[in-house]
Amino acid sequence: MQPLAPKPQMTTLLSNSALDRLRRLRICPAGKRTSRSRGEHLSGKGGTSTEFCDYRDYVSGDDTRFVDWNIFARLNRPYLKQFHKEEERNVVLLIDASASMKSGGKLELAKSLAAAFGIMGLLNNERVSAYASHQATDAPDRLPPCRGRMNLRKLFQFIEGVEGRGDAPLDRAIESLLRHHSGRGVCVIVSDFLTFGDLKRSFNILYAAGLEPFGIQILSPQEIEPDITTDLRLVDSETEDTLDISSSADLFALYQEYRQGLENDLTLLCQRRQGRFMSVSSTTPVETILFDQLRRKGWIE
Amino acid sequence: MNWGGFQSLSHLWLLSLLAPLVLFYFLKLKRPRAEIPSLVLWRQVLQDQRVNSPFQKFKRNLLLLLQILLLLFLIFAALQPFWRGGPGKNRRLPVLVDCSASMGALDKSGGVSRLAEAKRRVREMIDGLTAGDQLCLISFDNTPHKLTGFTNNKGLLRDALEQIEIADVPSDLEQALRLVQALGRSEPFDEVLLFSDGNFPPRVNFDLSFKLNYQRLAPAGVNLGVTAFNAQRAVAGGWDVFAQIEGSADAEGNVSMELFQDGNSIANERVTIARGHAQRLEFQVKGEQATSLRVQLTPEGFDSLASDNTAYLDLPESRPLRVFVPRTLVTYRLALQGIQDIQLFPQTTSDDASGSFDLVISDRPQDMNLVARTKLSVGFVPEELQRFVELGTNGSSVVDWRRDAPLLQHVQLADMVVLDEPRFVQNAGEGDLENLNYEVLIHGRGGPLMVRKQDADGVRFALLFHTDRSTLPYRVGFPIFVENVVQAAMQQAGLAEALANKTGVLPPLTLAPNGKYQIQTPSQTVEAITADERGIVSGVAAPRAGYYSILENGAQRRRVGAGLLSPTETSLNSVDQIQFNEQLQVAAATIAVKTDWPLWPALLMAGLCVMLFEWWFFQKKPGGWK
Repeated sequence: MQPLAPKPQMTTLLSNSALDRLRRLRICPAGKRTSRSRGEHLSGKGGTSTEFCDYRDYVSGDDTRFVDWNIFARLNRPYLKQFHKEEERNVVLLIDASASMKSGGKLELAKSLAAAFGIMGLLNNERVSAYASHQATDAPDRLPPCRGRMNLRKLFQFIEGVEGRGDAPLDRAIESLLRHHSGRGVCVIVSDFLTFGDLKRSFNILYAAGLEPFGIQILSPQEIEPDITTDLRLVDSETEDTLDISSSADLFALYQEYRQGLENDLTLLCQRRQGRFMSVSSTTPVETILFDQLRRKGWIE
Repeated sequence: MNWGGFQSLSHLWLLSLLAPLVLFYFLKLKRPRAEIPSLVLWRQVLQDQRVNSPFQKFKRNLLLLLQILLLLFLIFAALQPFWRGGPGKNRRLPVLVDCSASMGALDKSGGVSRLAEAKRRVREMIDGLTAGDQLCLISFDNTPHKLTGFTNNKGLLRDALEQIEIADVPSDLEQALRLVQALGRSEPFDEVLLFSDGNFPPRVNFDLSFKLNYQRLAPAGVNLGVTAFNAQRAVAGGWDVFAQIEGSADAEGNVSMELFQDGNSIANERVTIARGHAQRLEFQVKGEQATSLRVQLTPEGFDSLASDNTAYLDLPESRPLRVFVPRTLVTYRLALQGIQDIQLFPQTTSDDASGSFDLVISDRPQDMNLVARTKLSVGFVPEELQRFVELGTNGSSVVDWRRDAPLLQHVQLADMVVLDEPRFVQNAGEGDLENLNYEVLIHGRGGPLMVRKQDADGVRFALLFHTDRSTLPYRVGFPIFVENVVQAAMQQAGLAEALANKTGVLPPLTLAPNGKYQIQTPSQTVEAITADERGIVSGVAAPRAGYYSILENGAQRRRVGAGLLSPTETSLNSVDQIQFNEQLQVAAATIAVKTDWPLWPALLMAGLCVMLFEWWFFQKKPGGWK
């Protein structure tokens, strides 16, 4: 008996085993932010779904179809049956595809993570849209909102086609995203968050638009532990600005201090908007992030 | 107070090198480019106040600062700064360095000699010599040697210092100070520096006219040595040889003494020397023929001075004393006939007076031309004294005489009647005789009755009155007087006793007349010597103990040994305080002489340290400054 041929890889972004495991997972937002349109997420408000919620006294004008006639027969008083309302949730994926993400495998990890969140959204019948920001002046590349597993290939094609280029700052990318997007849900932002822009403003807009910010910061090992042994002229990969630094342990200590400070600021920025934030190294395997770190932190379940 | 200064301020122009250094630093500072994802964090880091603090700025340009520091060190080294150790600038300082035998003593086994220690200290002074200071190096043993004039040429001074070698002779501080005093007449100075072990007499007959800084060197170790080596004619025709062993104050222990005759060991004795005591050894040596003796002392413990362990003695052949007395001097001939080992000329059977004699006694001036080491003229005034002494006829008497003179020992001259009248001529006196190297032995009423002169040719006595016209031959002392004359002659001829040759000057050597020779010293240097018309070579310097070989056309003709034989040098005594005339005392300085301290070596060393730190910091420590 010949061994079975291995299953063809569905996408280069994630292994088949990871895809299998993702099928059983779903995104867990901190708040219940859903769109009014019908979906699979209970809104907490009364609705017309099949799931019973509560009784209330009948008042004039109520739809008599929802009167519980069995109770009326016993009590001779009309009570109205109430049902949960199920709304849809938007999963917005924002991939920072600027030139700064090209180094150290950051973009590859960002694409894998975005794909994972997209898969979880599509398989849970959520409205998934994806954006990849490149140039500050141009609108981000966009995958329009889609739903259901039939759109998986479309999602993979979009994400696989994302290339790192340009100098789009993240804040501008968020604002640009919101110009095209409508609907509440979560916004998964995968970036290095190394921007000169004002993220606070863009996160406020994001929050106001009903999107919970899920920030995943990806830093390369060179950014986490810079290995600089001599005096150097650093060149920004996006702007080509230069900066002269001297090899100094004090300088490195300050760098670490500022990097940690940035991480704390971003965490607060997200948490105050009911969001989440996590910083990972680009060398960390995507499976470890998905099935270990994110699950333990309650991002997915 | 003058703390110091710079010897070469003209090198200040080197400070202008700072400009190109800074310029080249910034021109050369082409940093390698490294592309990073974003400058966000680095911008924030560099805008931090802590990074921009002055100290951090200093650290950022540490390389430049280190290079500036290194250049400053080099420039300051080129300026030749110095720390003033002694008095102010522009001083002249004569430096006396004792190089006598005792300075060759070691402080311990395998240690350094006193001279080496003195040289080290003088070398420090030379190294610290500043432009305004001048040193004059003078070494002294029994004679002073001016090695340099007043100069600040360090090379010259160092070369002169290295030339100083030990001379195995006692030191003569007085001579050295007189030379320094003479030096001060042309180039005045205030202070004289003396480096010595203090092995010289505590009293120096010198009027000190300058400040003497007496730097006494640390004492040497224990020492034992031969301080006397002589021989006396034995009755049997041989020689009784005596050797004296002495030592330094705390020297004690066993020594072995070996006696060599013509190179062959003939006796060996082992003796114990107690602390503070001397030991005298006696040997019997057969000596019909001329022979050469050498005694070698070998201490069993540490001996700090080697040059006093050997002594040399040349013994003449045994023969009767050849005495010439003209027949007219009957009294002398009669007196001489009673003395043994005398060969009297002219003999009764012959008037032959040719050849050389050991003693000539004559009342004829022409006989004084005979060859003899000892001469006694009777009844006339020697020609060179006739300008100062004349002979009268009024008679004279003895006023006083030198009772300690060997010639007059046990000779009673009181109440002696003299018919001749030797007297000084007008305006002449005893000083005139002393200027001619004469010594008055018997003082008469108007002038000297007897004088003595010692020179390289021998000893000459002159009785200025004729003994036949005096009562001297009738006195009991006359035979004793003649016996004393014979003893003096035997000593001069080396027939009665022989003394070992001492270093300093070799005894007169009798060689071929007008012969040309070379003399090879113990230090293997060769010098040319020439004998005079009588074949005598005298005044040959013998600064080192050992054998001196006389070479003729490269072949050894004769060998003469010279030993230290100085109880003072062997004792290694050290004088704490030197007593000068007019109750002036100079004590040994308790602190070492302060020399100017050149700072340029320290600056160069600091520059090297900066360079090494820079190399280490920027090449070997990638993490930077923790």
